[in-house]
Amino acid sequence: MSVIAPKFRFSEFLKSLTDNIFWIIVILTLIGLPIIMIALFFIPMPVYEGELINPFLAFTWMFHPELALPLVKALLVTDMFRIIVFPGFGFAALLAASVIFIERKMLAKLQLRVGPFYCGKVEGILQLMGDGLKLMTKEIIIPAKADKPIFILSPLLFLGAAAAFVALIPVAPGWVVADIDLGLIAVFAVIGFFPIITVLAAWSANSKYPFIGGIRALFQMVSFEIPLILSLLGVVILTGTLNLSEIVQSQASFPWILFLPIGAIVFFIAMLAELERIPFDLPEAESEIVAGWLTEFSGMMYGLVQLGSYVKLYAFAALFVVVFLGGWTGPMIFPPLEEELILEGKTIGPITIQTPGLPIFSMEFFSGVIWFILKTAVVIFFILLPRGVFPRVRIDLLLDLGWFKLIGLTFVNIFIALALLYAGVFGPGGML
Amino acid sequence: MVDAAFLALSVITIGSAIAALELRSLIYGSIALMGTLGGVAGFFLLLDSPFVALFQIAVYVGSIAVLILFTVMLVKRELIFKKIEDPKRKWAGIGLMLIFMVAIGAIILDSGLKSVTTDEPPVDFREIGDDFLTYYWPALILMALILAGSVTGALVLARREDEISG
Repeated sequence: MSVIAPKFRFSEFLKSLTDNIFWIIVILTLIGLPIIMIALFFIPMPVYEGELINPFLAFTWMFHPELALPLVKALLVTDMFRIIVFPGFGFAALLAASVIFIERKMLAKLQLRVGPFYCGKVEGILQLMGDGLKLMTKEIIIPAKADKPIFILSPLLFLGAAAAFVALIPVAPGWVVADIDLGLIAVFAVIGFFPIITVLAAWSANSKYPFIGGIRALFQMVSFEIPLILSLLGVVILTGTLNLSEIVQSQASFPWILFLPIGAIVFFIAMLAELERIPFDLPEAESEIVAGWLTEFSGMMYGLVQLGSYVKLYAFAALFVVVFLGGWTGPMIFPPLEEELILEGKTIGPITIQTPGLPIFSMEFFSGVIWFILKTAVVIFFILLPRGVFPRVRIDLLLDLGWFKLIGLTFVNIFIALALLYAGVFGPGGML
Repeated sequence: MVDAAFLALSVITIGSAIAALELRSLIYGSIALMGTLGGVAGFFLLLDSPFVALFQIAVYVGSIAVLILFTVMLVKRELIFKKIEDPKRKWAGIGLMLIFMVAIGAIILDSGLKSVTTDEPPVDFREIGDDFLTYYWPALILMALILAGSVTGALVLARREDEISG
């Protein structure tokens, strides 16, 4: 018989268990509860049935757990929740993390390989968690002659810029972190930060390959920013607004990709170049310059850059969905909640559960989010697809494409938009 | 009362401008220059013109600072950069700046302008567009010609010369 722990005593096991429970209770009561009580004074609490829900009613909540619903509802509309959890960073990071796994698995299937397989019982589903743990526990090595402040700060700045980009994307009606009038211009301003951070990170490592990669990234990003911006102008001309939420609302009956396909194609190609994806992954060309501007990053610094680049991928895909595919618009999926459930609660046998403040989200919200995620997933799939198929382009071909062909096509797109406007199809008094 | 945001922006802008001049490392100097340009964008935001502020960030921080950074990185510092340590010049420069500042301050104090308060909303970018199409149309046409010329120039420069031979 194999023994897991040779000196195992059940009584000692019980003792260790009770010891742990004892210390947890002691620490919670002495430190945890005071901290919670102090913190609760600074959080605005909601009013329910004419009474302010305050921390002193904690025992009441224990016996009526459904009272927590108004509290949850109040939490959901705070700015902090928006920034950290739902339309903001947490949502994007979750999607980005799943994209990393799906990319590996999908590429493997495309190339008739197995891909991640052993980590987790089913199809290597825990591979990502394993990778994350490995990155977190790895040593962070900083090159001896590196410029330390910039080198340490640049992964954080990269992730921060990606998060700022995510903050501008509307996910559902009213669900956007920063709903500003000049959303599209703000997007361009945020995109402008990526080449700076990339080239600073590359320079600060004080090494050959990162510097070559950084210079390539700079060329590529700066030259593809121009077709990227110009390709969106067609939509701006037709809608007459720069607010991303209003751009989505203008596509209630049809997405703009039907009328401006050239703009959509140019935006997609420029997006691939901005994201450094194959066939434009020259800054990270692993067969030429080790890993490009990421070469000297190790441990969690590499992890942060990786997470940042995938959050950026999600943000670009979401921008494509918002501008060309109609964002959250789509047919309703769920029926609205029953009136009875909201007003009287649900009766199960002898027990009646009342649910005050139950419609936490409207059903439009759910269906909008599902449509948005579905469309984003399709766009991300098309972003990932070339990696399994195409080789890398040469840098002169890349610049030729960016400066010569794509800019020409964007002007064609703008003229199409102007023609639609002046022919009276769109705009004030237009047919559609 | 002095606005806290205004004060912070002033400190950032002027501090990073001094840093941009004084720092020995050219890279850090250009990063400080980015701080200055970003601070100016903040001033535009305080002045209720977010359109100009965002374009300040997109163009000056996003493009021109990158150009400067790129140039600095490609240049070997020792070859072109000879340090001239002349305390007289430095003090003369500081004195000149002080005289200039005092003169400007005197003008502002003399103008009787204490504070400006308006309830008007931020300038709508559509109004800027309307103004450009009606009153300032010659400026718009001039800008359009210059931009078209520069785009055409970029296209001509980007054309590959070896297409026929290769």
